[in-house]
Formats: sequence, C-alpha cells, structure tokens
Amino acid sequence: MAGVILSGVHKIYQGTEPLPRKWWEFWKPSGKPSEVHVVKGADLEIKDGEFLVLVGPSGCGKSTTLRMVAGLEEVTDGEIRIGEKVVNDVSPKDRDIAMVFQSYALYPHMTVAENMSFGLKLRKYPVEDIEARVKEAAALLDIGHLLERRPKELSGGQRQRVAMGRAIVRRPQVFLMDEPLSNLDAKLRVQMRAELQRLHHKLGVTTIYVTHDQTEAMTLGDRIVIMHQGHIQQCDSPLMLYEQPANLFVAGFIGSPGMNFLEADAKDGLAHHPLFTMELPVKARNLTGKITLGIRPQHLLMGSLEEGEVKLPATLEVVEPLGSENFFFCKLDEGAGQVTVRTDAATKRKVGDAILLRIRPDHVHIFDSNGEAVCHAKGEATAE
Amino acid sequence: MTTSDNKPKVDRSLYAWHAVLICCLCLFLLPAFLVVMAALREGGSLVSAEIIPSTMTLKNFSRLLNETPFWRWMLNTLVVSTISTVIAVAVTTLAGYAFSRFRFRGRKNGLLFMILLQMFPAAMSMVAIFRLLQSLGPMTGGLIGLNSLFGLSLVYIGAGIPFNSWIIKGYVDALPIELEESAYLDGATPWQTFSQVVFPLMGPVLATVAVFNFIAPYSDFVFPSVLLFSEDQYTLAIGMQGFITGDFSANWSLFAASAVLGSLPILVVFFSLQRFLVQGLTAGAVKG
Repeated sequence: MAGVILSGVHKIYQGTEPLPRKWWEFWKPSGKPSEVHVVKGADLEIKDGEFLVLVGPSGCGKSTTLRMVAGLEEVTDGEIRIGEKVVNDVSPKDRDIAMVFQSYALYPHMTVAENMSFGLKLRKYPVEDIEARVKEAAALLDIGHLLERRPKELSGGQRQRVAMGRAIVRRPQVFLMDEPLSNLDAKLRVQMRAELQRLHHKLGVTTIYVTHDQTEAMTLGDRIVIMHQGHIQQCDSPLMLYEQPANLFVAGFIGSPGMNFLEADAKDGLAHHPLFTMELPVKARNLTGKITLGIRPQHLLMGSLEEGEVKLPATLEVVEPLGSENFFFCKLDEGAGQVTVRTDAATKRKVGDAILLRIRPDHVHIFDSNGEAVCHAKGEATAE
Repeated sequence: MTTSDNKPKVDRSLYAWHAVLICCLCLFLLPAFLVVMAALREGGSLVSAEIIPSTMTLKNFSRLLNETPFWRWMLNTLVVSTISTVIAVAVTTLAGYAFSRFRFRGRKNGLLFMILLQMFPAAMSMVAIFRLLQSLGPMTGGLIGLNSLFGLSLVYIGAGIPFNSWIIKGYVDALPIELEESAYLDGATPWQTFSQVVFPLMGPVLATVAVFNFIAPYSDFVFPSVLLFSEDQYTLAIGMQGFITGDFSANWSLFAASAVLGSLPILVVFFSLQRFLVQGLTAGAVKG
C-alpha cells in the first residue's frame, strides 16, 4: 500500500475550434487549434490507507484527475507520485493500481473466474496462486457460486461485485473507482455502499473514489475533495465541509436540500436584505458591498419570533412530505427569492399559506462578494 | 359493453400487408425456383411451355460433373474466395481497429480518402490493374500477374479494403473503450489487448466481412474475364458463361445446373457464420 501525491497537476486537451466558412470554401481551414483546460493545478496528498472521494458536478475534472492517476490520461504539467515513485511516465500496468469502472468493463467473452484472473495470468502468476486469490476474493465478495458464469448472466449488483473482485485479486497499492455505483438502483446502491465501507476497513488499501453523488461522498470518504471547473474548491472531512464550507460553491453543493442563499448589502456592520436588517458577526463587521447570507433549510425556523431573530415573510408554494420530515419550498415576499425549509413531519401547512420564517443570526454563514466564506454558522461550527 | 367488444380486434390491414409480403417473397424466390427447374429439365432450352417440367432429370448435373471442367472452376473460385477472405479479414481487422482507436497523422484524411475510393466503380481501375499485374507478373514469377488466381485474389482484397475497414471501424467504435483500458490496467500490452479482449468480441463484424469477401469472386464477372485467359484458371462465373455463349448452342440447362451446384458453398459459408451475424457478443459487457 502507498499514498498518492498530486503536485500542481494540470490537464489540457488540444482540440479544434470550428471556423465559419461557406460550404464551397473548402480551401479555407475548417478550424483552428484550441485548448480546453480541464484540471487546473491540483494539489493533493492522499495518505496511505485513506479513502478519498473526488466529488463535483459533471465536467469538473474529477474523472480526468482519477484517469491521470491511473495513467489513462497524460499529465500536461505537474507531478503524480504513488508511494515514493513519480509515475508521470510510468505505463498504467506498472503503476500497481486497480480500477473499477462505472460500466464495470467486464470482459464479456470470459467467465467471472477468467475475468478475475486475467490480470494475474498476464503477469504470469503461478496457477495455484491465481486460483487461491480468485477463491479468496470470491469468498470475500460472496460471488463464489458465480465463478463459471459470464457477465451477461449476472445482475447489475453481481457485475459490480465481480468488478470489485477483479480489482481485489491483484492486491494493488491503490484502488481507483470511477462512479462504481452509478448504474445500480437506489436500494442496491445503499447496500453496496456499506459493502465498500466494509471492504475498505478490511483491506485498508488507499482508495480514490470519484462520484457526483454527495451522499456517497459523505458516507464513504475519510476526506472529500470538491472540484468545480477544474479547480479543487476544498479538501476536508465530510463534517467540516458541511459545517465550514470554504465558499459558496461548496456550501451549495454539500447538503440536501442545498443551503439557501440570500443576497444582502453590507454597510456599517449590518446586512441589509429587502425583508430584514441583521447585525453582522464580529468577523464580518468590516465587510461592505454585496454579500451572501447562507442558511441551511433546517435553520429556517417557524413559529413565534424570539429575541435577536430576524423575520422572513414568505408564501408556501410546494410541499414535499417525506414521512419523517417535510420540505417546504417558499417564495419570499417582495420577490426577494425562494427558500427551502426543512421541518418535522408534524408541521402541516397548505400550499398558498403565508408563512413567517425566522432566522437566528448565529445560524447564518456569511460569504463576501467573491463568494469566499468569511464566517460560519456557530450552530454548526465545530472548530471556530 | 357487449361480449363482441371483448374479442381481440383483428386489424384487417394486417392481412393486406401479409398478402403484399407473400407476393414479394414469391417474387424473390421465383428466379431461384426457375433456375432449379431449368437445371432439372431435359434439353438445353431456357424457354419452355411448362414452368415445372413433366419429366425431371439429373442428366444436366451428371453432364456438368463428368464432361466439363466444373470441379476445376469451382476449386479456382474457392481458392480465390478463401485467399481474399482470409487476407482481407486479417488486413481490414487491423486497419479498422487502428482507425478506430489510434490517433495518428493522416487518420482523418485516410478515412475520407477511403470513402472517395469507394465511390468509383471498380471497373474504372481495370486498365490500371491490368497494367499493374502485367508488370508484376515477370517480377514475381507469375504469382502476382495476369492469369493468376493469387493476382485476382489481391484485386478483390484491394477493392474491398475501404468498405471493410469502414465497417470494422464502425463496429470497434461501438465497443466500450473501458474494456481496453481495463486490460491495460490488468497488465496487457496493446497487442494482448487487441488479441485477447477486442478480437474475440469482433465475431459479428468479422463474419459480415468474411461473407462479403467470400461472395465477391462468385458474383464478379468483369475482373476474371479480363485477367484470366486459360480455361484451367477460370472461375465459375467465366466458365459458366461458356455454356451460353457457345458458337453453335446455348445450353441454359447446364448453366442452371452449375448455378445450383455453385451456390452450395455460399450457402454453407452463410449458414456456418449465421450464428455470428445475429449474435450480440457484447451483451453484459457494461451496464444494463
């Protein structure tokens, strides 16, 4: 096992940008060279045995980063180390890594046993050793009875296990997983998530896991890296990301439903919103101009106003009853935007009802005009 | 609701469509039927008052096998078909894979150029091919030259490369790239990836290319009629033509009999490869 270090890693794809030309102007060039900067200076240190999750919206560069670690994409600039070794110019097969793909990528013409042993056979392991490893991995994943079947005879969950088994038999230094649970239905995904946690605890192999599902990220990762437009936005433990988001993007990305954002003007230590004025905390007193106030849905309270709280009049537009809780989607008065409120299941309201929401100032995250966090909600903060 | 409403409604237009389709089927099968009947008829005439002859005979087949070099022509055709099929499949499989998966200078223009080549009828290149084989003959001891079966095979291989490469490229494009990436990570070299992962999945497209290449020498008349001179080198199409362009008689029954026997190898090849033609080997490779 080994850690992985990314230092200033960039990935730039060379492409062609089409140039306008008439159909008969075939002598003119049809396009000019262009560049797409997909990963912009990624710096990461993944510790030995750590489970790191790369998460972000589509096109943020998370899969490209993983593929660069795998050696399936060239690194344009920067350095990747696995263990002590710089692997920029090392071919994928010599990096001692194993990857689980979103589509599983099982060889359809081979049985499960052949799929799992393919890599070992290529590396010329003794037959007895191969058989022992396949049996051991199959027992670990409870797929021993499937060894003679072909992938098309397996269910989605079984294929996923076989793909995991193929990675495990190699006993690599690092596991790379590219959205391995995305093709499973919701129930199976929850089950496999637990299975992955169990496997990681048992094997203790350094794992880099890519997903766009924040629930997967929060439940699996020792640390989570949030990426957006090729930049690493924040790398922290799941709880810290939730409680102390570094910027507006992270604050909006982590948490479901997402954080509510209210735009306000900061002046003389006060935040002026069309519906209320609120005193800013000490850390944010010297802010001036446009700021954003972030409030989690569970911190938009209902009921009678208490001292120090500010009120937010709104109209209920949509109710989502989930059984254990309700989500109210409300339109703020005077066209001041929309907010989502999380309430307990006992709180009943009808669509169209006027609702008076209240906010405790210490539940508010404050972001400056650049979207960077200035101070976090005290109610959530664990380390201010 | 009445009980009659519960009966499944029969769409009458379905009957009409079935009738149309049966008519089409008859139209397609009629020529084959006429050829078989002609082969079983006595005498060499094509035109007869009766479609199904009153007395059927196998004399034409017997005469064909005993009195003409039919076996020789058949063997020549099989030799040309086999050589061109094996080499074309080997060459175009690698070419199609390379065009699909590798990025190299000239790839795009090469693909476009192959489409361009495909647009011209093969007969347009007849003079060039004739001159080429004429020149190559003395240099290769007649192996690749005029009146050579191997030379003719090469012509078919060359003519089929653009189209075959394109269909193989299209097929490989549709194979999930993750399979190859997974093989690389498993420790496979590019050749091992191709031979152990991609090639076994190419059954359907290889069967298609093989059938096309195998049939070409059977159905072509133009190239062998120009490039082959001696009767012992004739392919079936040229040999058969002699039955109906004789100086004193046109023996259509003999022609029909050789057509019936000549089609048997094609049927054998087709039915033996049929399994691959309809099989989707990639099922289960990825999600689903």
